[in-house]
Amino acid sequence: MTRFIIIRLIQAFATLIVISIVIFALARASGDPVMLMAPPMATNEDLEVIRKHLGLDKSLPEQYWVFIKNMVRGDLGQSVQNRKDVTELIANRLPNTAKLSLSAIFVGILTSMILGVTAAVKRGTWVDNGVKLVAILGQALPSFWLAIVAIFIFAGWLGWLPAGGMKGPATFVLPVLTLSFFMLPIYTRLIRSSMLEVLDTEYVKLARIKGLSEKAVIWKHAFRNAIIPILTATGITFATIVTGAVIIEMVFAWPGLGRLMADALNQRDFPVIQASVMLVAVVVLTVNLLVDIAYAWVDPRIRYD
Amino acid sequence: MTRVRHAWQTSRRLPLVPIIIFTIVVFVAIFAEAISPHDPNAMSLADRLSPPFFMSEGSTAHILGTDNIGRDVLSRMIFGARISLSISLLVIIIATVIGTTLGMVAGLRGGRLDAFLMRITDAALAFPALLIALLLAVALGPSFRTVVLALSALSWAPFARMMRGETMKIRGEDFVAQARIMGCSQTRILIKHIFPNVVNTLVVLMTMSVGLVILIEASLSFLGAGIPPPQPSWGSMVADGREKFATAWWISLFPALAIGAVVLSGNFLGDWIRDKMDPRLRQL
Repeated sequence: MTRFIIIRLIQAFATLIVISIVIFALARASGDPVMLMAPPMATNEDLEVIRKHLGLDKSLPEQYWVFIKNMVRGDLGQSVQNRKDVTELIANRLPNTAKLSLSAIFVGILTSMILGVTAAVKRGTWVDNGVKLVAILGQALPSFWLAIVAIFIFAGWLGWLPAGGMKGPATFVLPVLTLSFFMLPIYTRLIRSSMLEVLDTEYVKLARIKGLSEKAVIWKHAFRNAIIPILTATGITFATIVTGAVIIEMVFAWPGLGRLMADALNQRDFPVIQASVMLVAVVVLTVNLLVDIAYAWVDPRIRYD
Repeated sequence: MTRVRHAWQTSRRLPLVPIIIFTIVVFVAIFAEAISPHDPNAMSLADRLSPPFFMSEGSTAHILGTDNIGRDVLSRMIFGARISLSISLLVIIIATVIGTTLGMVAGLRGGRLDAFLMRITDAALAFPALLIALLLAVALGPSFRTVVLALSALSWAPFARMMRGETMKIRGEDFVAQARIMGCSQTRILIKHIFPNVVNTLVVLMTMSVGLVILIEASLSFLGAGIPPPQPSWGSMVADGREKFATAWWISLFPALAIGAVVLSGNFLGDWIRDKMDPRLRQL
């Protein structure tokens, strides 16, 4: 088990290095940053001075090393747009995104479990078909459009909930629900098919013959075993939620990391996007690593031989 | 059995609706200039925000209405189909070629090469496609080329992974060993022996990917990192209609429905192909 963890850690680290190289390369590919920063009347000598000051006269590998060193130390550069420290900008927004994402994941898991189990148990009935329909439509229709529709119905037409911002619990409802909808279709279908498989097995039949109540059969026996494939999906789901957060934050004017990225996109603010993407990479890789370890812990067959 | 009867029975087993939808979209995309009632970029401030023809103030001049600067929604959707389709086609072809080659080579060779390639594949897989695409859009400026590049860069990974898995399942088979004994080079083994056996799963994956690519492209355009204006893309059309959503709902609705229809068709088609290929279900 320990060997597995160590190998996985090394692999995750290697992946991180690859991603950082890609991000670094893209930064340099976007054109000479000195031209962007220098005032229009700068002479060539001025440009050279700026270049030296920014360390851009060093060779590419050296620049990469400086880039990594700075990042590890916490210096993520300055926003091109307003000269604030990127670290500060991100630190302000990150908690908001975390609140949104974690709530959405929680709600999503809960809802899809209820829906998936119910659909599996009542297979073939209108409940099952209804859930399947919602799952299919939820996957096919563009989620940003569904978010807009949700705002229109619940905030505009019915006036029940606020349309945006982050002030008070009412503003949480729509964004969290819409974001959880990103993961609902996949999760619900997964739980449903997993439950269907498990409900067919011998030990479930035995539990029924023993005389256990249907509730006990479903929740105490079938469900626990159905969860295992769900673990695999968690890694992908996390990436989906992170992606969805960008869209949801933009639609609902939520002051989080996703909206920071969307704004930086419009302003071509590369340092901000670079740092955000790097941060997301670290988080996603960490979550995948934890999921893999949990998976190997649960199912001893998944180890490295 | 008459020929007509035979044809009818065969067609009943086909997933008609997805095929029809796909055919329509492809047809529309190719013949956009001929079919489109208006120039998609033609502004007409006098006609702005007119509703679809079945509503009271609508007219048949603009069947699906106009947007906030008077551009005809239907025409934009027609040209948007061309853009969405060409992007997904290009991306899928590139992703298939790269992913399949890498996956099959990794699957057959194994060892260090496999480990190395899988590292890269994992990096590409683990990462949310949208974010890398955003990064590319900022670095290189949003354009058709940037979108294709970004989406291909992330779409090849699932292909590589799946092809590797399939290749590994087959490489232990007798006919592969026999081919090797006969002196076939690795390349020949891959192309002539392994590929025909994995092509089924490949086709399924390709079909399923169409919907996914279209959705990501739409999301990118919605965020402003995709196809730049004034070129119409279904995603950016939904974004355009956002402000006037309460009053001019048709601007966002029809592109969104189009996206949904194509994605659904792709998924159903992929499901059907997969079921057809599954030998266990063939008797049904």
